[in-house]
Amino acid sequence: MATVERSVAVATPAPRVAQRWWPLSPARREALQGMGLLVPTMLLLLGLVLYPFLYAIWLGFTDKAVGSPGTFVGLKNYRYVIASPQFSAALVNTVVFTVAAVAIKFVLGMGVAVVLNQQIRGRNFFRAFLLMPWVMPAFVVYLVWRWLFDPLSGLINYALLDLGLLTRPIPFLSERSTAMASVIMAHVWRAFPFFAISFLAGMQTISQELYDAAQVDGASRWRQFRHITLPSLYHIIGVVVMLSTIWTANAFEPIYLLTGGGPSDATVVYTLLAYLMGMVNLHLGEAAAVSTLFLPLLLALILAVTALLHRKAH
Amino acid sequence: MARPAMLRTRREFLKTATLAAGVGAPLLSAAPARAQRQKLVYWCYQFLKASDDSRAAFAQEWAKKNNVDLQITMVPWKEFMPKITAAIEAKSTPDIVESGAVELRGRGQLLDVTDIYKKLEKTYGGWVGCAPKFMVEPDGRVHHILYGFQGFMLMARDDMTKEAGFTKPPATWAELLDQAKKAQRPPRSYGLGIPVSNQTDSNVWEDVMKSYGARLADDKGKRVVLGDYKAQVWEFLDYFNEVWKSGTLPPGVTTWDNTMNNSTFQSGKAVFILNPITLTLWIEANNPEMLPKIGHYMYPRGPKGLVHPVNYGSRSILKYTKVPDLAKQFLWDSMEPGKMDREHSVSQWGPVLKAYLAFDVWKKKSYMKGLVELSQNAEPEGYPDVFNDAWREQATNTTVSRMLQRLAVDNWPRDKAFAESVDVLTRIYGKYA
Repeated sequence: MATVERSVAVATPAPRVAQRWWPLSPARREALQGMGLLVPTMLLLLGLVLYPFLYAIWLGFTDKAVGSPGTFVGLKNYRYVIASPQFSAALVNTVVFTVAAVAIKFVLGMGVAVVLNQQIRGRNFFRAFLLMPWVMPAFVVYLVWRWLFDPLSGLINYALLDLGLLTRPIPFLSERSTAMASVIMAHVWRAFPFFAISFLAGMQTISQELYDAAQVDGASRWRQFRHITLPSLYHIIGVVVMLSTIWTANAFEPIYLLTGGGPSDATVVYTLLAYLMGMVNLHLGEAAAVSTLFLPLLLALILAVTALLHRKAH
Repeated sequence: MARPAMLRTRREFLKTATLAAGVGAPLLSAAPARAQRQKLVYWCYQFLKASDDSRAAFAQEWAKKNNVDLQITMVPWKEFMPKITAAIEAKSTPDIVESGAVELRGRGQLLDVTDIYKKLEKTYGGWVGCAPKFMVEPDGRVHHILYGFQGFMLMARDDMTKEAGFTKPPATWAELLDQAKKAQRPPRSYGLGIPVSNQTDSNVWEDVMKSYGARLADDKGKRVVLGDYKAQVWEFLDYFNEVWKSGTLPPGVTTWDNTMNNSTFQSGKAVFILNPITLTLWIEANNPEMLPKIGHYMYPRGPKGLVHPVNYGSRSILKYTKVPDLAKQFLWDSMEPGKMDREHSVSQWGPVLKAYLAFDVWKKKSYMKGLVELSQNAEPEGYPDVFNDAWREQATNTTVSRMLQRLAVDNWPRDKAFAESVDVLTRIYGKYA
């Protein structure tokens, strides 16, 4: 105390505050440092993802064509695209193709995973073999399927005619009643191994003790699957179904290579429509408008799937 | 103390070295520049191997002779637009392209080559047939140089039609259907290998419709007038319905791509097809015993006359080129008659310059006579409509074939299908009006 009184009396300079050039608490300082480290990644992501995304949306409001900068045209492209007869067809077909293909891939993938999770002879061979359609180039796969479906020289028609099951060939890809189903079949064949392998990987992490206990309690195979296997896979199912929904909705090769969107507009999907408007007719603004119009639909599909599986998982 | 004569101070040494470097630097940097060759990027249309090889071989010889670093890329027609679109947007274009050019010309992407056009016209006796209509724009400028005509012809399995009792080719579309019905033996063979799909080979139906008297737009190519030709379109649709119900079109034509009509004919499963002679050249090289069985004819006529348009191949220079003079030199040299004579003997292209009409190849091969006739007399693609951007867009959308698919695939009534086509055309032409 005496010291204080004396210092006041002689009016010495106030004691110097400690040299704190950084006026933040250590916790806040650490948080800022972390954010600083994230900045390069954030900038990279902004440049590679957000900028093209926003640019594509902007393009939809311009008359941008190849080689021209484009000027703002408001909603003109949207009005043109929505009034196009192919747009409504593409809307319906995209939903049908995505929902049906993902559902079939799920069922098929789960079935195959359950079988390959059993102690069967040649299990490792079949597991490796299962990946073949997935690793083959899409171009090759769909051209082979096109040949299989061909009514004049395709294997399926040839076999059915030879066996006497048909009197005239079926143009699988060329009739409205069979075209979409045929495209879905070819796509499912190529893509279901992803489901099967992912589910199989998940099944192998489930403790055998759970099944043993269920068996002791007299649970049937179906009840074991329903109450042990399925709940244990919910998180994997969520990721796989979400990814597959995105990939399937954006699929281009199966439609382009198998039917070109025909017959009529029976299999046209939004990716093909955007391709035709942008790359064939050179109206990039219209193509961007198609993609932007489908964005809410894709988001809704993904959110619906995610919400459903999230609720199940919890 | 005196210094030895050979010794230098540090300052003197640096001075000498700087001087030497100053004098030597320009010489050093000039050396690679002198050795550096000019670079030319050439996108070559890929379709028929012999023809492609011939053009590529010439380009390589030309590059060697002119000390040019040439980069050739073969681009199939179907991939050309997506590739050039990406190249233009990425500001990394080739110097010379072989394409239809009309889309790029309409968007101001091509270099003016009017001087080459005029020089060729003057030197080689003038242009053949409707070539100037394809090249010269309303303001007199030219942005691409045609190197060949190509047209669809009626190709017939004469052996099959003869077996069915026909000795003459069909003169009308109705006769074609009649011969097709009688000559076919389904499922072994079908009368008409003509696609009715969303691919551009299906546009032959537009030609058939026009030979019934209909047209899409007015003389200026601006306003859609198809709605005024309802009676003519109805007559054409009646004809198509008859074709569809007759079973002469093979199963699957509604999703055929541009190769399926070829492969069906190659495998002997079609009596008639409408195709360029690329198919004939393939048959000549790969299945020569089939060639004598095939006849090549002009299109049959419709009730209102003959509509038999011709297509073309052309070269153009992108306006972004850094070597415009070199690119123009290539365009000029590539039209030299000696070179074109060699090329025509292995290609599907008809003559575009009068100097080429003297080539022996037109006399040696019977099917080439039809090609020369087509080159000299046919009207440009789209005729009687104007060949412009709007017409091109509706053609890539296969508007007429889509109308036919509405009848055949969707079972729409004629009124509804017709109204939709008129609406689609109006909206497309409206963008360019």
